This record gives sequence, structure tokens and C-alpha cells, in this order.
Amino acid sequence: MNPKILGVRVSMLFHFYGWRLRRHTAQELLAGSGIAVGVALVFGVLAANTSVFGSASELVHGLTGSAQYQLVARSAHGFDERLAQQAGRLPGVQYATPLLRENAIIVGPYGRRPIQLIGITPSIVTLGGAATRNLDVGSLLLAGGLGVPVDIARAVGVRSRQPVTVLVNGDAARSRVRVVLDKSTVGSVADSSAVVSLLPFAQALMHERGRVTQVLIKARPGAERQVAAELRRFAAGRIDVKPADNELRLLAEASKPNDQSTTLFAAISVMVGFLLALNAMLLTVPERRRTVAELRTQGFDWRQVLLVLGFEALVLGLISSIAGILLGDALSRTFFHHVPAYLTFAFPVGAQHVVHTRTILLALGCGVLATLIASLPPVFDLRPSRRADAILREAGGDSEGFGTDTTLWLGGAGVAIMLVVTGLVLIVPSLTIVGGVLLALATLCLIPAVFAVTARALARFSEHIHGSMLVVAVNELNATSTRSIALAGVAALAIYGSVAVGGAQHDLLRGLDRTTTEYLNTADVWVTTDDNIFIADRFASEGTAAAIARAPGVSAVRVYQGDMLDVGARRLWVRARPADDPQMLQPSQLLRGDLGRATARLRQGGWMAISAGFAAEHDLDVGGTFALPTPSGRVRLGVAAITTNVGWPPGAVTLNTSDYSRYWQTRDPTALEVSLQPGVSALAGRATVARALAGRPGLQAQTAAQRIDLYEADTRQGLKSLGEISTLLLIAAALAIASALSATIWQRRARLASLKIQGFDRQQLWRALLLESAVVLGIGCAVGAVLGVYGHALASRALKLTTGFPAEFSLGELQVFITLTLVACIALIVVAFPGFLASRVSPRASFQE
Amino acid sequence: MSSLELLDVVKHYAGGGEVVRAVDGVSLTVAAGEFVALYGPSGSGKTTLLLMAAGLMAPDSGSVLFDGRDVARLAERESAMFRRNEVGFVFQGFHLMGGASALDNAAIKLVGDGATLAEARRLARPWLERVGLSERADHKPGRLSIGERQRVAIARALVNEPKLLLADEPTGNLDSRRGQQILTLIRELCSERGIPALLVTHDPQAVAFVDRVLTLQDGRLDDEPRAELRAVSP
Repeated sequence: MNPKILGVRVSMLFHFYGWRLRRHTAQELLAGSGIAVGVALVFGVLAANTSVFGSASELVHGLTGSAQYQLVARSAHGFDERLAQQAGRLPGVQYATPLLRENAIIVGPYGRRPIQLIGITPSIVTLGGAATRNLDVGSLLLAGGLGVPVDIARAVGVRSRQPVTVLVNGDAARSRVRVVLDKSTVGSVADSSAVVSLLPFAQALMHERGRVTQVLIKARPGAERQVAAELRRFAAGRIDVKPADNELRLLAEASKPNDQSTTLFAAISVMVGFLLALNAMLLTVPERRRTVAELRTQGFDWRQVLLVLGFEALVLGLISSIAGILLGDALSRTFFHHVPAYLTFAFPVGAQHVVHTRTILLALGCGVLATLIASLPPVFDLRPSRRADAILREAGGDSEGFGTDTTLWLGGAGVAIMLVVTGLVLIVPSLTIVGGVLLALATLCLIPAVFAVTARALARFSEHIHGSMLVVAVNELNATSTRSIALAGVAALAIYGSVAVGGAQHDLLRGLDRTTTEYLNTADVWVTTDDNIFIADRFASEGTAAAIARAPGVSAVRVYQGDMLDVGARRLWVRARPADDPQMLQPSQLLRGDLGRATARLRQGGWMAISAGFAAEHDLDVGGTFALPTPSGRVRLGVAAITTNVGWPPGAVTLNTSDYSRYWQTRDPTALEVSLQPGVSALAGRATVARALAGRPGLQAQTAAQRIDLYEADTRQGLKSLGEISTLLLIAAALAIASALSATIWQRRARLASLKIQGFDRQQLWRALLLESAVVLGIGCAVGAVLGVYGHALASRALKLTTGFPAEFSLGELQVFITLTLVACIALIVVAFPGFLASRVSPRASFQE
Repeated sequence: MSSLELLDVVKHYAGGGEVVRAVDGVSLTVAAGEFVALYGPSGSGKTTLLLMAAGLMAPDSGSVLFDGRDVARLAERESAMFRRNEVGFVFQGFHLMGGASALDNAAIKLVGDGATLAEARRLARPWLERVGLSERADHKPGRLSIGERQRVAIARALVNEPKLLLADEPTGNLDSRRGQQILTLIRELCSERGIPALLVTHDPQAVAFVDRVLTLQDGRLDDEPRAELRAVSP
């Protein structure tokens, strides 16, 4: 079986490529590496991006199985379990299975881990979810104990039948691991923090007898609409009726800013990858042009030559892209795979690595397409007017440069794109990410013009300097302008992405730090359950507040309450402060409304402060009202102020604890704010409070400063992936530029040798090579930095306007400087070595063409 | 006036378990203003001899004297200065810088010697005129014909007013008409400026333009000119 394509045997295509590979192994390896690095960046970013949502999707669907609807409580306190039984008897309902979910901490001999404790009933098996279908037997195994995912069990050092402690609702309960759950039993739950037990056991642990937080509903075939209507009537406005996988919709909203940032990086990585591939392929152009000439001389027609070139590019693209995908997979598993802590607290996000087929195909497609496009230059030799070009025209002629018209056209396009982006983003801030991708394109378009102007200016400048190697450097740059422009483009894109996203990230961190400080400085000491970063896990006070109030040095103890509340596609952060709290709102987070008036209204009750995104979605402004879906039904509250999202992407609602207690039907605190008497230090006060907490091992006392540190660490952890992607992009770009520059330099050894014969010594040549590299990097870095700062300003504005994040633009000169220095230093240090070796080339090499 | 002298020069290469005697006891002199062709087939040792004359390779034994100095034994920096200040070199492959104009290519050598580009251009322009390319001074190599590129290379070789001109197959890439023009030019420059010129070639037509032809065969000079040269010998 050896078919012919256009008269060429397939085996011959492999032979041709084999010959090429043997003759130009180093060049093919370099080209392949460039493509692989680009594909790895694209794949790594995309895979990291899809993993958070993918793991949550597997987990949610693993639990909900074939359920279409759910009744879900509006607070962690849940609702009466009997409602689940009644729901099961509604017309059209085939199955109804209750769940009880609560955040907790599991403590074993090796340490502690935050978990989500889920109480289930054996009826969940009827839904056939991947995580529960094997629990038929498991329900027996779970009897009287916990099913702990294998990773959690390993982390805390427990095995089946061993005792553990569960900290929940402020108390510690001794329990026993009944079974360690692995993938074969519970699928993706094994990679999550979901610890399961039978419902009565979970209720006992949580002191929530007869309560559930969720009922999964499966309708009989054809009865879906009827069941939805029945459930809404049944819920009577006090319980939410949502699709079974509603968590995913809420997660998508919460992780949108993170996803958008990584999408921008993915788009930049695609461009960087393409440029790396293009540059790598440009290095092979002279050889491939010779191949074209040889094939034509041997009587191959243009279609056959095209077939040979296309086949070679396809094989190179495929092999390199597969290598890139493997590398990208490793990157996404190691560097990029950090699930932000704030998401794991609010959503069932697992740690599993999820890669979709479309991600693989996209990365593969990008790699192969980039290789095919980058392989095009020799194809121009197939035009009838240039039939002999491959033989007659030497490399370094005008064919390698950008024409003046092209440069002007591209420069004009770059400026036009910048103007369009500016207009677009000013009018529609939500299009900032699209604008960011377009700005990256503008960066590339501007490079040839900046390159031409710089080369001309340097040439002028060098005319009057004695013995300047700048003359040699500029001439070499002009001789390989396409390659130099592609390399400057890689540097520019990496710097652009890093400065734009890094700058916005920096603004965001400053804003978040400020809001955190203001938010937590209302008390000297905070008492909360462990790992409770949103202060939304409640505990029974049971006289704890009174005990602390009696402790020496304590002047006041206030009850703080908080929760998560699902409204539409947003999981809002509800924060309730007592009316006597020194500060009801964080002044720096106020966007609209008068601080004094808003504070007075919040203290008075019947008012709330809401985040800008939520307000915009419901067309609300200060003085308006909104019917908030609370556990006691819809309650109309006035809007006292519009705030930022205080760091939680879906937004926040702030009200006073009287309103909260009334509408959420609980007096349980989620924190106690402790004020100390004058002269008592925070640390001494914390120690006093800790002593008063004796007997409540599930509660911890922290000074405001300790709690601020914890928040800031979590914030930074949440943004860690972005920083790592940015750094990796920079390092990869710097190394890729360095290797491509090194290859370019190495390829020119014969010309360097000829310069030596003309009397240039090796220091002069080395200087010229370093200058050349510095100019390429300088152009790329400068254009990238300018556009990056502009992108940063637009991104910060969008963060504030569209997501309501507390981000204030600041230039961040130091960060820009560090970024530029990092890329320039890595590239120049790497280039210095091959440059040094190349400058030592024997003059005799000029005779060995 | 300077002359080039090679005295009993020997150069061996070791490779594949064999020792190849690339140059085997060659002695020759190129007097001031004399244009000498070193003729021989591929592998006869011509380029090795040229490299030794330029101080780029040291002989295993013997001496290469220019102006009384043994140029093959110079330190690297001195050797570079020797080539920069005293030698003009013309390559078969031109080795022009693709991004530089014809004028800048001709001038580049002077930049390496500490001149500004503006000064170097001023000094190079007459040489470009001398080789007939004043109209094409601003053109880059990609827009010059192959013959024109070689003329730029010759202008570059002469721009420092060398005391010795060495040429490695300068007509190897040219058609016979252009080749003759180049050789005529070298000959004129050589006698006009009174400098010794050594031409390495295997083009029999080239020998018609030189003062003397030396034939190299297996690393040794032949006493008798080869048959194909007799018809064209000067």
C-alpha cells in the first residue's frame, strides 16, 4: 500500500523528509522546539483555564447524576428535611434525594484540611451519578462514619477505621473513617475535598438534626416542566428552585475575571507561539529554497513541490505540537494548576486535571497552522516569475526584508487598532479582553515601523562614532530584518502581556489589601471557625460571646454574621455588621452614595449596600429598592450605597445584623468582633480571648493583623496562577528569543569569519553581536512596555467598571522595569555565550561555504 | 615596496588515520606590483597556501614573510591588525553584509580600524568609483548583480590601501566576460599601486591576466605549466 499523491508516492514524501532531517537535524530541532514552546504555552494556559471549571463540572454532575432540578436552601442553616419527603411526593417527581452540605475541617495525625462535609441518603444512587452509583454498597460502608477522599486521607494521615476529628460549626467532633474513597468508587469526588457520610450522621456532626440544604429532583420523562412549576409553588419563595447543575453557572460568574485574564494570556501565547514557529522556520528558509530549486531542476511541477513542502511542514508541525502538548500538560499540572482558595471555599472545585478534546485539537491546530504559514516563504519561489530565484538570489537580499509600503501599512494598522480599541473599551468596558487581544495585535503591527525608524536612527547615530560596532550590528539587523522583527515581536508580546496583566493584577492586589485592612480593622481580635476566609461559616455562640466579654482587657464583643446568597447567576457574599459597629462600610470601597448617610441607613435597618456589578445588572441606584431572596422569603430592602465587589467577583451585600438575623432566621454568629480596652495590646488580647475559648476547639482567635495576613495570603494565592503564567511566558519568550538569536548568529559564522579576515578582532565581533541582540530586545521591550502600560490602564478601568473590583491604576514603574530587565538579562546572558563562541570562529570558516 | 615570500612551507593535515601533505615544501616570491596566479585543481593546496599568506594559518615548517615579518607566527591581535591594515582579501563568496549599502560594505573595514562611518564612507567612495559602481553606491547587495557584488568586494579589499592583495577564486561565480573585467581591474590596481597580488584559481582563462602562473599539484609547485595553461599563458 503505497498510494500516489499528485504523482508522488507517499513513501517518497517520508524519504524526502528523512533526508532533510538527516541533513539539517539541528535546524529542524530548533524549528520544532520553537513550535513546541509556543504550543506548550497555549495548551498549558488553556488546560489550566478549563481545569477549574472542568473539575467542578465533573464533581457536580458526579453528584447530581440524572437530576434536573434542585431545591436549595438560601442559607447554610438549610430547611426541614420533611420538605424533601414532601417534594418526592409531588406529581411528576420520580426521585427526590436530600443533601446536607457544610464547610468543615478534618484533623488527623499528619495535619488538617478544609473539607466540604456532605450528608447523603442511599436514595442518591437512583440518580446514577458517577460519584454515587457505586455507593450502593458504600452506603453500608458509610454507616456510622465518614467516606474520605484518598488525597485528603493521605494528607491528614488516616486510613479506614481510624479515628479523626471534624471541626464544624465551632465544635470538634470525634468520628471514624469508614472508607477511603478512590476513583474506582466515587470517580472525581476522590480528587475533591468532599467528605461524605450518611445524612443522619452528618446532621449529628453538624448539630443540624432534621435539616438539609439541598434536594435533588429527577422528573419522570416528559414531566419536567410540570415538576418545575410544582417545585416553584412548593418552595413558596423561601427556597430556591434551580437547575441541578446551577453551581456551575454560579462558578462561571465567580471565575470570570480569572478566566478572562488567562484567555488574554492564551491569545498572547498563540501569537508568541506563531512568532516562535515563524522565526524558527525562517532560519530554515535558505535550505528549503535550495530544496525547491533542486526539485524543480529535477522536473517536479509546482504542485508536487508544494506537496513536498506541505508534507514536511505538516510532519514538523504535528510532531512539535504533540511535544508541545505534552510539555504544556506538565506545565498545567505543576505551575498553573492552583485553584484559588476563595473558589474552593464557595464552590465544589476539585483538584483533578481536566483536559477537553477541543483544547488538545485547538493547540494542535495552532501549532500545525503556524508551521504551515511559517513554511510559506519558499513557496513564493514557485511563482513563474521567480522560478530561478532560489538559485540566483542569495539570502540577505531584499527578499528577506519588509518593504517600506508594508512597514507603513502595518504601522498605520497598528495605530488604527489602538484607536479602535480605545474607542471600543471606553464605550463598552466589558469588551476590554477583546481589546487586550487586539492591542497585542497592534503591538506586532507597530514593530516593523519602530524597527525601521530605530535602525535608521542608529545608523545615523553610528556614522559619527569612532570604531563603532553599532555599524556592523545595524547592518546585520537590516540584513535579517524579518527575523529580527519576528524576534522583537516575541519580546514585545511577552512584555505586553506581562505588563498589562501584571499591572492590572498589581492594582487589584493593592485594592484588595486596602479593602481587607479596612474590613478587618473594625476589631482588635476576631473569633471565627478555622479557614473561614469569607467569615461565612456559622457557629453556635452558646455563651461564648458572654465568656469573652467577661475576660480581662476586653471592652466589647459584637456579633458578626455572614453567608453566601445565590441571586440569579451570582453567588453574593452577604456581610452583616451590628449597628454599633464602628464602621458599617469600608470608605475606600464606596462608589456611589454618601458614606455618612449610608452608614446611618444601614444602622437604622431596612437598607443594604450592594456591589456595582449586581446593581448594574438589576438597574439599581442609591435610594432604589430590591427584593432580596432570603430564607424567610423575598424582602425588599433599600439601596443605601453602591460599593466595589470588595474582592469577591460576583459581588457583596452589606446590611446590619438585626436585619440579617430576622430574615435569615438565625442568631448564630459567623465571627465575633472583639474590641480591647485602651492599653491592651492585640497579642495580649488575643491570648486572653483564646483562654476564654477553652472548650471550643473549633474556634480560633486572631488579631486583626493576623487575619489581614491570612486574607492577603489567600488573595495572592488566588492570583498565583496568573503571576506564574506571566512569568513563564516571559522566561519562555526570553529563552526562545535567545535560542533563535543564537541560531541566527551561529548561522552567520562564515560572514563573521570574513569580517575577521578583514581585520576585525573577536572582541569587536562579540560586541557587535551583543549590540545587535540588545537592539532587537530593546525594540521589542520598548514597544511591549508602552502598549503594556496602555493595556494595563484599560484593564484596570475595566476591572473597576465591569467587575467592580477595587482596582486603582498606578503605573507600577518598578514592576515594568523588573519585567524588562528579566527578559533582557535572560536573553542577553544566553546569547552572550554562543555570541562569544561565534566570535571565536576561525577566519578559515569563510572558505567553507 | 613590499614583497611576499614563502620559504619551504609545509602543511600537513591529519584525518581518517592518514596524513595529507596539503602543502609540501613550497617556496615562492611575489614581488611588489607583481600579479601571480596560483593555479591547480581542487585539493591541490592552493587555499591552504593563501591562508598561510594571510597569516590565518601557521605552516608546520617554513616561513611566510611579508616586509620581513613572519606573518604566520603573529599573535591573534597582531594578525588581525596585519590583515586590517596591510591585506586586501577578495573571496569567491563575496561575504557582503546584506543589510548594508554597497558603499557601507566597502567602508566597513575602516570602521573596524576606528574610523567613523562618515569618515569611512568618504574614503570608500573613490574606490567604489574606481570599480565603476559610484551610481550603485546606495544599493544593497540583493539589488546588485553578481559581478557588481564582486566589484564591491574588491573595493572593500582595497579601501585600506593594502600592501598585499589576496584573492580566492574571485571569478568563480562569474561568467567569463565579468570574470575578465574583474581580473583586469585587479591587474590594473596591482601595477598602479605597486602591490603584490596572489590569485588562487582553477580557471585556466584567469592566467592570461597575470604576470606569472604557478601550478600547484598535490601540494607541490610544478615546474612545467599544465597543458591547458600553455595556450593562455602570458
